[in-house]
Amino acid sequence: MAIECLVLGAGQEVGKSCAVVTINGKRIMFDCGMHMGYLDHRRFPDFSLISKSADFNTAIDCIVITHFHLDHVGALPYFTEVCGYSGPIYMTYPTKALSPLMLEDYRKVMVDRRGEQELFSNDDIMKCMKKVIAVDLKQTVQVDKDLQIRAYYAGHVLGAAMFYAKVGDAAMVYTGDYNMTPDRHLGAAQIDRLQLDLLITESTYATTVRDSKYAREREFLKAVHKCVADGGKVLIPTFALGRAQELCILLDNYWERMNLKVPIYFSAGLTIQANMYYKMLISWTNQRVKETYATHNAFDFKNVRSFDRSLINAPGPCVLFATPGMISGGFSLEVFKLWAPSEMNLVTLPGYCLAGTIGHKLTTGKPTKIDLDKDIQISVRCQIHQLSFSPHTDAKGIMDLVKFLSPKHVILVHGEKPKMASLKGKIESDLGIQCYYPANNDTVCIPSTCWLKADTSKTFIRSSLNPNFKFVKTISEDKLNLVSKETEDTSVLQVHDERVAEGILIVEKSKKAKVVHQNELLLMIGKDKHDVQFAYCCPVQIGNLERTKGMDFALSKNVVSTSDECSWLHLLFAKLSTKLGGNIQDFGQHLQVDSIYISVCLKDICPYRTTDGPQKESAVFFCCTWSVADVNLAWEIISIMENLDLSII
Amino acid sequence: MEQHLGSVCECILSLSTNDKRLNLRALASARSLIINSSTSDSTISALFETLTRFLQLTTEPRALHHTLKLLSDIAFHHSRLSGLVFHSVRSHLLRSDSTRLSAESLAVLSSIAEHDRSLASAMDDLDDRFFVSLCFGPSVSVRSWFLSNAFRFPIRPYVLLTVMLGFTKDPYPYVRRVALDGLVGLSKSSVIEDCGVIEGCYCRAVELLGDAEDSVRCAAVHAVSEWGKMLVASVQEMNKRYWSDAVFVRLCSMVRDMSMEVRVAAFDALGKIGVVSEDILLQTLSKRVLGITKEKKPLGQCSAKRKSLGQYIPKHFDIQACVAAGAFVHGLEDEFYEVRWSACHSLHTLTILSAKFAGEALNLLMDVLNDDSLNVRLRALETMHHMATCDHLKVQETHMHMFLGTLVDNSTFIRSTARKILRLMKLHDLKMFQSSIDGLLENLEVYPQDEADIFSVLFDIGRNHGNFVVCIIKKFSQEIEPSCEGRLDFDSVRVAALLVLAISAPLSEAQKVCSIPSRIFSYAVTLLGRISHALKDVMNQNTLLAYLSHCSKSTIVDNSESFFPMIEGDIPNCSCIDMISPAGMSLQQGASENENQKRLEPRKSATPLLDCQLEVHSEVAKSIKLILLKINDIWFLVQKGCMAEVLRMLRSFREELATYMSDSLVSADTLAFTFQYLRVVKLLAKVWEHFLPPRKTQSYRIGELNLLLGKLDRNLKEMRYRFRGLSKEEELHVLELILVTCILRLSKVEICCHNATLKKLSMIISHAEFLHKEGSIEPYNFVVELKKSLGEIDTYNDGASCRPFLLKRLLESFSLKQFRLSGSPKHIKAEIDLPGNDTEPLPFISGLPVGIPLEITLYNVSSENRLWLRMIVHEQLMEFVFLDLNQSGGCDEVRKFTFMAPFYRTPKAMSLTLRVCIGMECLFEDVNLITDCGGPTRELVYICQEKEVYLGMIAKT
Repeated sequence: MAIECLVLGAGQEVGKSCAVVTINGKRIMFDCGMHMGYLDHRRFPDFSLISKSADFNTAIDCIVITHFHLDHVGALPYFTEVCGYSGPIYMTYPTKALSPLMLEDYRKVMVDRRGEQELFSNDDIMKCMKKVIAVDLKQTVQVDKDLQIRAYYAGHVLGAAMFYAKVGDAAMVYTGDYNMTPDRHLGAAQIDRLQLDLLITESTYATTVRDSKYAREREFLKAVHKCVADGGKVLIPTFALGRAQELCILLDNYWERMNLKVPIYFSAGLTIQANMYYKMLISWTNQRVKETYATHNAFDFKNVRSFDRSLINAPGPCVLFATPGMISGGFSLEVFKLWAPSEMNLVTLPGYCLAGTIGHKLTTGKPTKIDLDKDIQISVRCQIHQLSFSPHTDAKGIMDLVKFLSPKHVILVHGEKPKMASLKGKIESDLGIQCYYPANNDTVCIPSTCWLKADTSKTFIRSSLNPNFKFVKTISEDKLNLVSKETEDTSVLQVHDERVAEGILIVEKSKKAKVVHQNELLLMIGKDKHDVQFAYCCPVQIGNLERTKGMDFALSKNVVSTSDECSWLHLLFAKLSTKLGGNIQDFGQHLQVDSIYISVCLKDICPYRTTDGPQKESAVFFCCTWSVADVNLAWEIISIMENLDLSII
Repeated sequence: MEQHLGSVCECILSLSTNDKRLNLRALASARSLIINSSTSDSTISALFETLTRFLQLTTEPRALHHTLKLLSDIAFHHSRLSGLVFHSVRSHLLRSDSTRLSAESLAVLSSIAEHDRSLASAMDDLDDRFFVSLCFGPSVSVRSWFLSNAFRFPIRPYVLLTVMLGFTKDPYPYVRRVALDGLVGLSKSSVIEDCGVIEGCYCRAVELLGDAEDSVRCAAVHAVSEWGKMLVASVQEMNKRYWSDAVFVRLCSMVRDMSMEVRVAAFDALGKIGVVSEDILLQTLSKRVLGITKEKKPLGQCSAKRKSLGQYIPKHFDIQACVAAGAFVHGLEDEFYEVRWSACHSLHTLTILSAKFAGEALNLLMDVLNDDSLNVRLRALETMHHMATCDHLKVQETHMHMFLGTLVDNSTFIRSTARKILRLMKLHDLKMFQSSIDGLLENLEVYPQDEADIFSVLFDIGRNHGNFVVCIIKKFSQEIEPSCEGRLDFDSVRVAALLVLAISAPLSEAQKVCSIPSRIFSYAVTLLGRISHALKDVMNQNTLLAYLSHCSKSTIVDNSESFFPMIEGDIPNCSCIDMISPAGMSLQQGASENENQKRLEPRKSATPLLDCQLEVHSEVAKSIKLILLKINDIWFLVQKGCMAEVLRMLRSFREELATYMSDSLVSADTLAFTFQYLRVVKLLAKVWEHFLPPRKTQSYRIGELNLLLGKLDRNLKEMRYRFRGLSKEEELHVLELILVTCILRLSKVEICCHNATLKKLSMIISHAEFLHKEGSIEPYNFVVELKKSLGEIDTYNDGASCRPFLLKRLLESFSLKQFRLSGSPKHIKAEIDLPGNDTEPLPFISGLPVGIPLEITLYNVSSENRLWLRMIVHEQLMEFVFLDLNQSGGCDEVRKFTFMAPFYRTPKAMSLTLRVCIGMECLFEDVNLITDCGGPTRELVYICQEKEVYLGMIAKT
């Protein structure tokens, strides 16, 4: 069995996230986004690769959308209403609530302002959203008999989720965009330790390691505080969702603590509506907001008032959040025009600004004049503060998540190619996990886990219920490195539980596999137990006879008499026990160490004797037998015996 | 109810014979009979009989379960039967072959044994094998029950260790967790010393850090921390650093776990590691892998093999230092305040280890001041305060905005902690100083209730930064000077604050010639009350006035004039040099000398890590100092009558100190002194309660007060005489307490024995006066007042007409001062021993003297002390023997000798017990002891535990 991952978008680029994954015959589409940078066919993923016949309903089992950003949800109405997909679509509740707002906003901008051809209508959006099944965090959804999906909190934006999908024994996680550090209003991504075959993760900041956000927050607060303390006005152009709320919580808290009375304004419109959503979707925010929610909803900003146009020219300090971000037009531009000429005022630009916008001009270089168009020129004397908050995780966060989940394979999407290559190298070398970063329209195949169901015997079950652990001392390599020069004991105590070792897996033809206890095996296959016994007839030197003549016992030249047999054995026992310690036992007719038997060999021709050994005159032969378990010990003893000389006392 | 007994018993018994179904009704009525306290004994006995019989007869597990429950109820509600129940359950236990029922019986047995200590020995008869066999059965619930309760049973530690270690392999996560907890428990018992075993346990815990179950990982973190500690302790000196680094990095790898509990546990554990390399510490503050850790790779090679879950990892120790990267960055910006708090807290201990680390950590901590949670902010400030006391706080200009922001925080705690830090902070340039002053002034404007503390802080930082004060005051002089109409604008708090700052300048050591205009000091005089209230810890009003008038004449102040005692321990660079004697350099010296010594020595930040002994010692000294400081605060509570609170606090102090008892490094004498002081304060508080206006209808027995006063007297006496080497201030402090006790005694008409008390009063006062003069120490307010009114009290010395108002006023003028322990007092104590006497009484013949060979050890007794041996049979039969120290030999610190004490008046008895004790004559106490045969002439203070000597008449044979 294999998992196939077809990357339709966000392969080695940022934009139009879309990945179609086939696990054990089930096909899931993760995200269905559009690329904001293109206006031609490249705007949407190439859906034709999914199915030549354009029969998407049979080709795809379900669609999973991670969050409401257009590069993750933008192509959805097109795919459902124009391409005709009508299967299940899953997303979280907030995503379901906010996606139509984003889509409609985009459609309006495209059609009404830029006058482009409409790709999908408002109706399409509404119809599409009707097909969406909303899911909750950690709710396991059984899409069909075999396919389960489950959403985990991802941070990033309100309602963003990572999705876990499992078909049979193969399991994977698609992260979407996520953030591993919490911010003022959203929490950090949170997931269980799962057994995964595949992890598909975003890699927007594949090489960036970000410092603590606190420092940037501090700079921001300091700049704003200083400005209002000196009586200036602060303009913060932001988008309606996300950043505005985060900064507002930050400011509202600071105001509270510092007892500041300067008004904070929200320009009306989408922001107010967005605040309402936040207020309702408290369970999707971070821990603190949730904890204090009972006493005070963090989105009920204490110091925030709604803005009135007449207040633009009102005297005294204030802070204003105005849409859109980047000062690309609209209300924020209107205010900027009026406030920019005073050096008391401050413009704070949170986040990234697209080239060509006023925001971009302000952050690159220190312009004193900005040409709005041919006729209007704004003189910029106000202070500019740039703030870079990103809701994406950084390289360390990606590594932390991969390390925590320890999947068997990782696929990187949603990033820039060279950076992805570097992260891939890091994942493979540091974590030893295989990693891929396919380009758009490429397919990656990885093997998946397949569990085999096996029956068990009752004896095995019973033996498994009772603990059966052993302690073994093994040498730890690392410690060996450290103390290699020392001669002390370098072994490490380790625990083994023998229960599994006692089981034996039997796979018979045309029968289900079965695990039985080792004692049952013979019974089952109807065979007798065979023991492998080793034997070796070992000569032991007795030196030259002159030296032994003085001894009490008489030696005939060629034959060792039976009565002497014991004497030799005793002699050997005495010798061996000095070398081996107390392990060896003397049973009169033979010596025994564990399973090793040693007895005097009286035969002239012993099958276990090697011919090239010493002659009978100078040696006594001892027959040794042992079983497999003691092979090493046996050879050790034999080598001792071969080097012995019984005559030397 | 009891009439039904017969039927109940019958019902129960019937269960065993024929009916398999349980008669729950019968059981329920049996239980209600048992727990009803008015059930007669005979009924209970009958029930017990029935149940015991039933226990023997039945084999049905459910019935047995209920029977055991009922039997345990009997044992708990009727303690006279607990022994019987114990034995019958025990005999059942030994017969039982079901693990579940054995476990239940064992639970009953152990809980009975825990109630009734006499039965505990019967538990010991059960051998290890029996216990262990319980958890090898197939029942998982019994297994986990047994593992979590294993410490209640008498099992040999090594057996227990084997069992616990084995069960960390159990397939059930709950069992694994309990087994790990058990290992943690074992590590604390400190019986396991085998190096290999310790390593094995540590490795097993490390393996389980990768467990799939949150709770197991959490327990594994605890286990790694504890066994890691043992591992570090067990290895050779040269490898200690390696291992402690390895444990630290291991724990760091857990701070990015997805479970909050695991993260909290990891940070808690990090804070407990005493020795870590500086480069690893620095790495924890940077998410980027630092060059230093990259190159050196101090922890094994970069060859991390793939470690899938559950797979056996042979290479336990291949872990890289870069795993630690950014551990604290992550911890401080965690989503859960518990984790952030814990991270701050562990920084608290780790910043001691390295100055460089502390400096870097401060950057992060400053940002934490912007945290959402009040607890976390406060913790961060406390960590900074701790850094400041270790002289590791290096604040830079970039920090100032954030830090000074806390001065206008909404929370009082935050503000006051921030000011505490400011007091200790070294400000390097004028700009920082200026902004600090501005911050304080803003604090004052927004929160006028903080005035007193702010003034005191201003005074302190002014004293530390004299040069800057002069600059600032020049700038502000316009504000301070009277406006053109000649009207002084002194009612503005701001001006008052600036004046406080200004008058501190001449005391700065940097500022020998002060250029503060002298008229400013005259202005300050107009605010005398306000300022002296704020500076009451430093000086009293009179001193302040003297100082101000002195300065308004000439602003050159010689420090040696010593207007004020410096607040030692709170100002890092104060001029305490003259307080340090060369002898004070040894490790065993007392608290403050050690402090000073620490400050004066240049800090060796590069090698501060391995020997933390000095740190530990100063930790204790600091703790003592802190306790003394807190006692000062307690007095306020005493006056308010919050006695329960006061006693609770004192108890907690005592417990805290008791933890240091085993620590040989701490001067036991200093501890003993502190204990003594705590006792005195406790008694004083208890006595004081009687003098407060009665709150409710409280009634006290007169005897009680008398008893308390007696105890207080005795304890004060011990404090005064049993410690050698008290400084004059310390002695005066004790004297003041004695004086208060006298006044308290005088105030209660029903108690006082006027003449003796008055005599004592005047004696102590004169002694105090002598000390004042000799040490040129400003007398306490209370003493001054008392001296003034002494005459008045005296004139009314005919008892009843003693002026209650006068005494009341006097008492009101008393407040407990902060006790500053400057040196290390030597505790005078003694031990008496008579070996072998416990088993074999000394022979004597009645009527003849008997010699008692006592082995006496004296500590810190000098040859000037007059010691007496007191021997008592009963009150009428008491003898004193003088101990001549000149014949004993030895030095002052420890003298050990055998003394043959003669006891003359042996009574007519077959045997007798002699109580022997050593007393010391109090030098200043009056002669009022009348003994008939040449006993001591002055009062004695007893310096040892009474020893009982057994004497037996020689049998006539």
